[in-house]
Amino acid sequence: MARRGPRSKAKRRTTLTLPAEALEYAGRIARSRKVNLSTVIGEALTDGLRIHQATERSEEVLNSYRQAFGGMSEREMMLLDGIVLEPLRRKR
Amino acid sequence: MIDPAWGPFLFDTSAESWLARSPEPAVQEWLQLYLRLHQVNVSVVTVVERTRGYALSWQRAEEKRRPGIEAARVAYLRQLGRVWALDAGMGIVAGEVMALLPHPPTPPRRAHNLAESRQERLARWRFDILIAVTALVLRMRLIHNNAEDFESIRGAIERWPSRFNKLGPLELIRCTLVV
Repeated sequence: MARRGPRSKAKRRTTLTLPAEALEYAGRIARSRKVNLSTVIGEALTDGLRIHQATERSEEVLNSYRQAFGGMSEREMMLLDGIVLEPLRRKR
Repeated sequence: MIDPAWGPFLFDTSAESWLARSPEPAVQEWLQLYLRLHQVNVSVVTVVERTRGYALSWQRAEEKRRPGIEAARVAYLRQLGRVWALDAGMGIVAGEVMALLPHPPTPPRRAHNLAESRQERLARWRFDILIAVTALVLRMRLIHNNAEDFESIRGAIERWPSRFNKLGPLELIRCTLVV
């Protein structure tokens, strides 16, 4: 039985409407590298999605930080930073 | 400016929260860029300090405040990036540093009518040593917000190289100077 390759290598045929200028540029790259247009578009799309994913992940972390620290008082923040302060005992 | 591409960096506990809470747009931009490239790397000691802080805040809070603290704790734990455990090598190096520098370089913290106990200061000092040696053994730059403690540790490592076979220097970045 033939084994399937990794999921990321699987390909599907589709029809897209792309900006003409970008398509021409991709075509030039494909000719210079002697690969087909699908390869160049696929690489560009993968890179673009990777950047998008990184931006999304970054926003998620920043949002969690806002929730984790945003509503805390200065005294609570000192506790969160590992600084435990206690009320001073007054000398009699 | 510290280029985020030089990372990943190890974040000290107070540096992580300082960066996350900074109102400076340039700092927020820096952190955003850093997070696009890397995860936030912290020592397990930071997770200990932070979790203890949330737990103490919860214990000391009034009933109506507690759900907010719990939600904040969950949000913090949800975004945890890479957490580095301590290993034998770090333990050995930390033991050497603790023997060379048994006492914290600065006195306990005080604020208004509040004070840190000597025991707490010593515990915090030892936690800082564990965080510093984590960065040292992993050969990561350490982003910190506590120059006195971490510069002392760096100094000790540089003064006694024979005790730290081929380790060092400890590379420090003050979080207030990333931009």
